[in-house]
Amino acid sequence: MSAFDFFIGAMVALFCGLDRTAILQVMISRPIVAAPLVAWLLGEPLVGLQVGMMVELLWLARLPVGAAIPPDDTQVSIASCVIAINLGRLLQVPSSEIVLLCLLVAIPLGKVGQYLDHIARQINVRLLLSAEERLVNGQFLRAEVQHFKGMTNFAIATLGTYTVVVIGTFMLVPIIWPLVENALYHSSNWLELALPLIGVAVILGTINVSRALTLFCASFGMAFLLMWLV
Amino acid sequence: MSLVLTRIDNRLIHGQVLETWVPYVHADCIVVANDEIASSPLKRMMMEASVPSRMRVEIGTVDEITALFGSGSLEKCKILLLFGNTADALRAYRNGLIYQRLNLGNLHAGAGKTRLSCTIFLDKEDIGFLQELDVAGVAITARCIPADSERSWKKLVPRRKLKQ
Amino acid sequence: MALLRRTRVHIWFRLLLLQGSWNFERLQGLGFFFALLPGLKKLYPKEKLAEVGRHYLGYFNTHPYLAPLVAGAVLKLEEDRAKGQQPPVEIEEFKEMVAAPYAAIGDALFWGGLRPLAAGIALFFAAKGILWAPLVFLFLYNLIPMLFRISGFIRGYQQGIASVEFFQKRRLPDWAIHTKEAAVVVLGGLSAFLVFQHLQRIDMVSWVGLLAIVPVIVLGLLARKGVSTLLLVLLSAATIILLSLFWTDVTSLVAMI
Repeated sequence: MSAFDFFIGAMVALFCGLDRTAILQVMISRPIVAAPLVAWLLGEPLVGLQVGMMVELLWLARLPVGAAIPPDDTQVSIASCVIAINLGRLLQVPSSEIVLLCLLVAIPLGKVGQYLDHIARQINVRLLLSAEERLVNGQFLRAEVQHFKGMTNFAIATLGTYTVVVIGTFMLVPIIWPLVENALYHSSNWLELALPLIGVAVILGTINVSRALTLFCASFGMAFLLMWLV
Repeated sequence: MSLVLTRIDNRLIHGQVLETWVPYVHADCIVVANDEIASSPLKRMMMEASVPSRMRVEIGTVDEITALFGSGSLEKCKILLLFGNTADALRAYRNGLIYQRLNLGNLHAGAGKTRLSCTIFLDKEDIGFLQELDVAGVAITARCIPADSERSWKKLVPRRKLKQ
Repeated sequence: MALLRRTRVHIWFRLLLLQGSWNFERLQGLGFFFALLPGLKKLYPKEKLAEVGRHYLGYFNTHPYLAPLVAGAVLKLEEDRAKGQQPPVEIEEFKEMVAAPYAAIGDALFWGGLRPLAAGIALFFAAKGILWAPLVFLFLYNLIPMLFRISGFIRGYQQGIASVEFFQKRRLPDWAIHTKEAAVVVLGGLSAFLVFQHLQRIDMVSWVGLLAIVPVIVLGLLARKGVSTLLLVLLSAATIILLSLFWTDVTSLVAMI
């Protein structure tokens, strides 16, 4: 894997990953934005679109409410793009199948993000104490600096997640690829359809709307009939 | 009447309750038993305004809520009951508001409180209260949102802190 | 003494970094202090600042898009207090009172409603292979949050405590429900579109697509029961891979015969 691609990925990972909790919250952390961005920088934007499409809805229903931390879909999608593009060139295989395999390997690794984010928030507790101390001594600037240290902790957690997912995927995919290559050629189309539908299903199952299923079925049926018959 | 969830949460009604627990347990009525909120019209109004209008909200002091449960006016509801702290939960239980399960959500840090999990901080008194409930047969578990795994509170409390 | 516009703008920008030091003990406490510090510095002499600041370092958590509304109102109250007027509610109490309800509304409206809605619409573009899809998402999604962030801050600062009325009058929680309903409808259309597109790609008869509702509902019910997304993904992937292998074997057998 080229170090340059890894580096580009890390920059996007940092930029988009901080948006998850630490700063901005303008949703550049969503897979539909982060994946196409990194893939575009690496020269294959369509791979990013494909990844974003498949990951975006999966954990959308896991809301970052209060102290709850959802799995890190940002790093899953960025890392999948970086690895898929690199391995695709390396192994000379069609991109669609390798993208799928990278994703399926990376998705469970999203848990690592939860874990590291958790640690960062734990470490940040210490900043409170030092901020209070500085404040009592009248060192306001130093108290403010504690806040930036918090961002640094989030940044480290983000980059850590990215690295783990990238390395994990990079190690596992070449081993698994020969085993499932054939199977993937036959099923990639269906898998590509299944992932967003699973996301939709999870949203339907957990959204706070009565009659969500009725609304969904009506709208699905209506749209489908329109496309089919018109 | 069915009590679908009983929870201790310092923040009472907030995102975790409305966005994750309400759809998970299919509650249609939120009952808040908290003396502080009940006594301040402004706080009460704010809390009521954060709930969609199709849900019923009852906010009252611990005693009022205990009486409300006894009166039978909540007969047809699926109730999500919220307490602000362990003392309130125990007081209601003693006065006859019986629940089988108790969920620990967010109990903030404070002076003298030790950390049991990232969102649960308890002091000696809290542990004593919970133990009393535990002895009375209430299954107490810690779980922030439904997607988290459920853990028995006893696994979180260091052995030496539990009175034998 | 009123705060200069420049200071207020500075504070608004700092509010974008509100959650930078998020922690399990006081959540956004340090962040809120960090954001308001430029204002507090102007209002209080150095000796008093430490004491005032300590209050701000306490527990605080609300939705990041509604934090500017709280911050604006708090600044107004601090200004009044600096002028010698006693605010009708203690500032501490005000902060505590609005934080959880605002958070509940923000979570429902933005995370629960707007995000799936914007994502659903943007994915139509992505499914078509249109490279602008991410920008469509960013634009659709951020329009309303930015409005809340900017006008909330201004409104909070102008109205102080009265700013809570806005929130009460607009019945925002009901709007959140409407947004979610819209999101469900869009996701229904999106699913139909994806299924239809897929069937055309593999040259299969179209009516089969209507059957796609069944697995979606089954998976939805499993999710409702609390089965994790990860498990659903792995199970479905395994099923699809096995079925497709089986299918290719059957078709090759048929071809041989």
